[in-house]
Amino acid sequence: MIRWWCSAAATPWTWAWRPYPGVWIFVALLSGAWFALMRRTTADRSPDTPSGVPFFIGVAMLWIALDWPLGALAGYLASAHMAQFLVIALAAPPLLLLGLPRTPVPPATGMRRLITHPLLTLVTFNAVVVATHLPAVTDALMHSQTGSLLIDLGWLAAGLLFWWPVLRPAAHPWFARPVRMAYLFANMVLMTAPGAMITFSDLPLYSTYELAPPIPGFSPLDDQRLAGLNMRVGAAIVTWTAISILFLRWNRAEVRLMESESAAARITPDPDPPASHGTP
Amino acid sequence: MIVITPACSPRADSSPDAFRGRHLAAPLDSVTFTLPDTDGRPFHFGDQTRGRLTFLFFGYTNCPDVCPIHMAALASVLQRLPFETRDRISVVFVSTDPDRDTPERIREWLDTFDPTFIGLRGDIATVNRIQQQLGLPPSSIATDDAGGYMVGHAAQVLAFQPDGVARYAYPFGTRREDWLHDIPRLLRP
Repeated sequence: MIRWWCSAAATPWTWAWRPYPGVWIFVALLSGAWFALMRRTTADRSPDTPSGVPFFIGVAMLWIALDWPLGALAGYLASAHMAQFLVIALAAPPLLLLGLPRTPVPPATGMRRLITHPLLTLVTFNAVVVATHLPAVTDALMHSQTGSLLIDLGWLAAGLLFWWPVLRPAAHPWFARPVRMAYLFANMVLMTAPGAMITFSDLPLYSTYELAPPIPGFSPLDDQRLAGLNMRVGAAIVTWTAISILFLRWNRAEVRLMESESAAARITPDPDPPASHGTP
Repeated sequence: MIVITPACSPRADSSPDAFRGRHLAAPLDSVTFTLPDTDGRPFHFGDQTRGRLTFLFFGYTNCPDVCPIHMAALASVLQRLPFETRDRISVVFVSTDPDRDTPERIREWLDTFDPTFIGLRGDIATVNRIQQQLGLPPSSIATDDAGGYMVGHAAQVLAFQPDGVARYAYPFGTRREDWLHDIPRLLRP
């Protein structure tokens, strides 16, 4: 029987390829949505930054995370499940958002301003992270394809929401680059808690992975520790990469501002020039 | 693989003092049998296990899921116990696939979990007779698409307490925390 979405399976793991048509449909829908959006909008894109590139890198990352083998391994190994989480919730969403057409942003309405408020997005993202890593939730959902799909979509939605104010801050003018860097750093600190819980637990937390058909070389506890480490290191890599990019852009913007100010000072004629002391 | 699993949960009763294993309606008393161990010496179950907490499991080394999961869980749990507790516990594995499970193969496989685990091997008729004596279904062969075969067998571990009576069985699904919860209780006189 063809399984359409990856989930925990009771059958022993093999390296034989298996199709997951649901993932292909999802990827096709996502790609189709981008093309449809591009046709509908009059994108204001500069020629050196084709917006399709980051978007399709993000789509490719999602495909890798959801399809065989990583998606299938996520039903056997907590560490693979965590790698999936990092890609779906943290790495792919900013690329998808960067690849959206850069149309002029209409004024934010009250509801949109509220939903994309950085404080709310930070809390929502971390609530989803904690909830989807609770053993009871993971064990209840990972054994069905629908449950696994819900987790994956929840991660993607939470990731898009989390990254939205960082990449589309127009609705919140106060959310300047230094504040955005602090936002990303705060998120990394918050994610330390579930990461530490997973890393330092004495016993396997998830029955899904403790009782999964074993994969040689991985004990459930070693696998779980690797998962916790994945979460902390992966989150740190994504966060510091994003902070570095924001810092460099902030720095570049400041330099440009200073240059334009000094240029303006040079161009503006002095209304009261000093008296000449030299006498030819 | 065909796994014969009793319809039960390892957590039927959630009260803290309750055992998480499945209580056997008819405790198994005076169970004795003799099979050669992996060194070829006769192992007298009953005589050599009396006074110790003994976990008895029937399985096979090519088993893809239940057997390695049970063995790995037991090995992991025993490592966490204090030496004096650990020293009062035996794990006995009886092969239900004597054609493929040579003594060397059984020893090699058990050593990947814990070298103190005892491996026993006998002809399948004898092993099935022992399983029948314990109220377990006989093992069965199921061929697979690749021309190999799997062995259906009981999925529970029987816990024989130091008085030689088995009152609890641990089905597939028993977790490490369940073993850690029950072992001190199983050792109580």
